[in-house]
Amino acid sequence: MPENVSRAIGSPPPQEQLLLDVRDLKTHIFLRSGVVKAVDGVSFTVGKGESVGLVGESGSGKTMTCLSVIRLMSVPTARIVGGETWFDGQNLMKKTAAEMREYRGRRIAMIMQDALASLNPTLTVGDQVGEPLRYHDRSMPKPSRIKRVLDVMRAVRIAKPDERLNEFPHQFSGGMRQRIVAAMGLSTQPGLIIADEPTTALDVTIQAQFLKLMRDLQRENGMAVLWVTHDLGIVAQICDRVNVMYAGRIVESGTVRRLFKQPLHPYTMGLMASVPVLGAKRKRLHQIKGHPPDLLKLPPGCAFYDRCPERMDVCRQSYPPQVSDGSGGHVNCWARTTPSAPALGQA
Amino acid sequence: MTDIPLLEVRNLIKHFPSSGGLVGSGRSPVRAVDGISFAVEEGKTHAIVGESGCGKSTTVNMILLLERPTAGQILFRGRDVSGFDGEGLRAFRRSVQAVFQDPYSSLSPRMRVRDIIGEPLQIHERLRGRALDRRVGELLAQVGLNEDKGQRYPHQFSGGQRQRIAIARALALKPQLIVLDEPVSALDVSIRAQVLNLLSDLQEELGLAYLLISHDLAIVEHMSHTVAVMYAGQIVETARQDLLFANPLHPYTRTLMAAVPNPDPDIPMGEVPGGEPASPASPPPGCRFHPRCKTAEPSSSQIEPHLVEAAPFHFVRYCSMRCTPVERMKVSATHPDGEIRRISS
Repeated sequence: MPENVSRAIGSPPPQEQLLLDVRDLKTHIFLRSGVVKAVDGVSFTVGKGESVGLVGESGSGKTMTCLSVIRLMSVPTARIVGGETWFDGQNLMKKTAAEMREYRGRRIAMIMQDALASLNPTLTVGDQVGEPLRYHDRSMPKPSRIKRVLDVMRAVRIAKPDERLNEFPHQFSGGMRQRIVAAMGLSTQPGLIIADEPTTALDVTIQAQFLKLMRDLQRENGMAVLWVTHDLGIVAQICDRVNVMYAGRIVESGTVRRLFKQPLHPYTMGLMASVPVLGAKRKRLHQIKGHPPDLLKLPPGCAFYDRCPERMDVCRQSYPPQVSDGSGGHVNCWARTTPSAPALGQA
Repeated sequence: MTDIPLLEVRNLIKHFPSSGGLVGSGRSPVRAVDGISFAVEEGKTHAIVGESGCGKSTTVNMILLLERPTAGQILFRGRDVSGFDGEGLRAFRRSVQAVFQDPYSSLSPRMRVRDIIGEPLQIHERLRGRALDRRVGELLAQVGLNEDKGQRYPHQFSGGQRQRIAIARALALKPQLIVLDEPVSALDVSIRAQVLNLLSDLQEELGLAYLLISHDLAIVEHMSHTVAVMYAGQIVETARQDLLFANPLHPYTRTLMAAVPNPDPDIPMGEVPGGEPASPASPPPGCRFHPRCKTAEPSSSQIEPHLVEAAPFHFVRYCSMRCTPVERMKVSATHPDGEIRRISS
């Protein structure tokens, strides 16, 4: 893809405000049975201090996209085969392994879904929150490190951090553990936090607390957050802009307001209509027919073809072009390329 | 229809002895379910909603006879299930089936789909050979799966298809009640609507009753006829679905509603109190929600509130006038917890 095209994607943050700029990223998984194009030409940006959503279902490639950004593949057969990821003006793809370690944890932190699995049960919470500091800032004397650990624990609203510093993960509740994982990420004051489904394992009231906490911390520290989730509600509540992924590609992007008020891609429209909404008295839920495609047998055209209510012959043959939504976002859909396409340009 | 509900639970209690060992002995028990009463009407859906630790799974286990109640009664068609043995027990197990949350662990990976669905038919109806194949084929068609898929193994299906297989298995014995324990929370968003619609269709076609366990208020509102909200082993509010969602009375119900992130950027989330759900191992005295409740009063920690009929078909366990203002109630009459009048009209 030519560079000027990806540059235009969801461009609200101007160049100097850009923190993360992913351009035409491709990560494929090489299996005996074939090549899974887990990430297949993904481009998006995150501005400084911005909150950007990456929405998709399981297998859509959202986690693989994040792992590719920090170049930390969980699958040994997965390889980044194309594209660039620019972070704060530096091309991360050109960094050596040692240089990458300076980014991970220090400038880009990741919060994973399962807090219990992210924490070592045999180390105290204080040791774990302080570990990124110990690793990245060896010259920092112990007392100031402990002071910083106490500060972040306080920031994530852990009561009496000086007492709880020496406790082990099992002595904390699920919600507190997830906050501790957030504290680990925050301790080095990174510019970008990648939060991969951080609230899926939490109860609704605890989730609400966590979302509010992250929003407050963002306001206090000015960090950017890339929210990876399948929950449209979370995106609507917490993100500035959002990218919708389907079968390894971003099929629609835009500001939260535009995307939720005027979804353009048939997949996005279907998703929104299929979710039960509190207070909406729907008789019957809209259902997207079929199921997500087999990534080993992706068609040459649009991957949503089989399930799409608006499909045309051209959709099966070639991948749809990118159509601007008129407010910095875009949609990849043949049905929106015609002049009669609904809602385009009005957003 | 008779006046006896299909399933009725009266003052059900389950206390687990706190974990043993030298240190553990002598501690007070975990009060997982602490005196709950509700009814499931024939052909209707009763939902239990609550967060982890509220006792909803323990309730399910007791109803499925996987766990013995410490006290209280479970009545099926007016008969106490604890007295069932032999033929009565077999009949109960046929009549009450379950669909669990995770179709990846609820289906045996070593069995073909037709054997998974056929097993209850072999055991209870002694079906064999062609008759069995025909029935399994019907069930697969009923849940929207191709009949020739029966030869396959669970791993060859997607999550949504697996949940359909689990539903087909539950339908095999033509039950009257299906317990749905978080039936879609493990599924992808685009698949959830398919499964929820399928469940609604089956209810209509077959006159099934559902006991729906969920933490998702939007799904509960969409699927249920009556609702009970549980907190720390107790029902804090129970009502007909429309009444509960139109006029939530208990502060915890209102908190749950406020905590749902609405997929509309113009409807911000409400205020959610800090703190964690109360532990059933050491529930707070008085109103169990009072440590998190901003309308709590000094008396909230002293007097254990009872369920009160605040309006017809609407019960709430309120502890002060601030937490549930009288003007929000239509009538006020105290009932002992065990005798909640049935909440469906």
